[in-house]
Amino acid sequence: MTHLTMEQLLALRGPGAEPGSAAAAAHLDSCADCRAELDRLHQRVARLKALPALRSPRDRLPQVMARARQERRGRQIRWGGLAGLALAASLALAVGLTGGSTAQPADSGELVAAMAESRLLEQALRELDPSARVTDGHTERMAAALSDRIALVDRQLEAVQLSEVARREQALLRLWQERVGLMDALVNVHLTRASRVGL
Amino acid sequence: MTGATVVNSYLLADADSVVARARAGDPAALERLYRVYESPVYNLARRICRTVEDAEDVQQETFLEVFRSIRKFRGDGSIWGWIRTIAASKALMRLRRNKYRDADELHDEVTATRREETLLRMDLEAALERLSDTARAVVWLHDVEGYTHDEIATMMGKTVSFSKSQLARAHAKLRRWLGEEAAA
Repeated sequence: MTHLTMEQLLALRGPGAEPGSAAAAAHLDSCADCRAELDRLHQRVARLKALPALRSPRDRLPQVMARARQERRGRQIRWGGLAGLALAASLALAVGLTGGSTAQPADSGELVAAMAESRLLEQALRELDPSARVTDGHTERMAAALSDRIALVDRQLEAVQLSEVARREQALLRLWQERVGLMDALVNVHLTRASRVGL
Repeated sequence: MTGATVVNSYLLADADSVVARARAGDPAALERLYRVYESPVYNLARRICRTVEDAEDVQQETFLEVFRSIRKFRGDGSIWGWIRTIAASKALMRLRRNKYRDADELHDEVTATRREETLLRMDLEAALERLSDTARAVVWLHDVEGYTHDEIATMMGKTVSFSKSQLARAHAKLRRWLGEEAAA
């Protein structure tokens, strides 16, 4: 006689009928060995549930509270810093437009559009609030890589404020457009994940 | 303390009020959430992760996430169910990041077979520890925490049949290692 497999025994424990479970249940009625095996399975699970609770050797609350405070401050600084960058870029643009530079200036309309689009994407990301979601490893890695690249672009934007006017405008346009591309990718990563898990 | 005793302690009688205050950023309410759930979160993390250090990190990351996201908790399930899912997800993420031993499932099997020759029986704790990380996580999440195969598959980014087969293989090993075959 062929006895039930472990997978069939486990299926008999679960709720609802699975394909083949009627046949497995019928076999169980006529097979003492399989009934004993199912009983052992029940006992094993009961013993797992009765294992002693393991306790953390240290109190981590002070670290958790400290990090939560630090993160809140970091977020405030980040949003404040971004507003500063946008303001600096706007000022640079205004100076560039009135400065009479001989170098070929970037298209100011494009720059303004890129900055506006970046702001919209920032807003979309804030509304998605990815920090409030549980993400899988792949999403987290992609989001972290994109965030790192955005931070790099932000540093370059800060540095470029010091360069010569026409070059500055071109660099600003390039960097803001790059930032828009990265922000767009980041929003899509979180949107894709959110739609996949039905959030 | 047994698992059953712990389950009773997960109940937070004034959960609604504590969560409402925590949402408003009340540090005393956040501390209360931490104190009520630190042990079950640690226990879950420690049962899934290989080391105390990883379990402590998962515990810390879980509560950071809870504190960050408490305003997003909609209250359509229990607060413990919500915290537990965050903890399970963080623990599984930790396993993926560390890539402990799942790549060497074969190695695990070989080692286990070899050691079985010298150890006729082992206790349940030791047998659970000996399972591969994935198998142990599936056993714990399914048999103890009560997650379905669907939920485990989603959390692990795997299929339902993967979760089922991991559980079946894990039980076959536990049965062998616990010396239950001899009783059969």
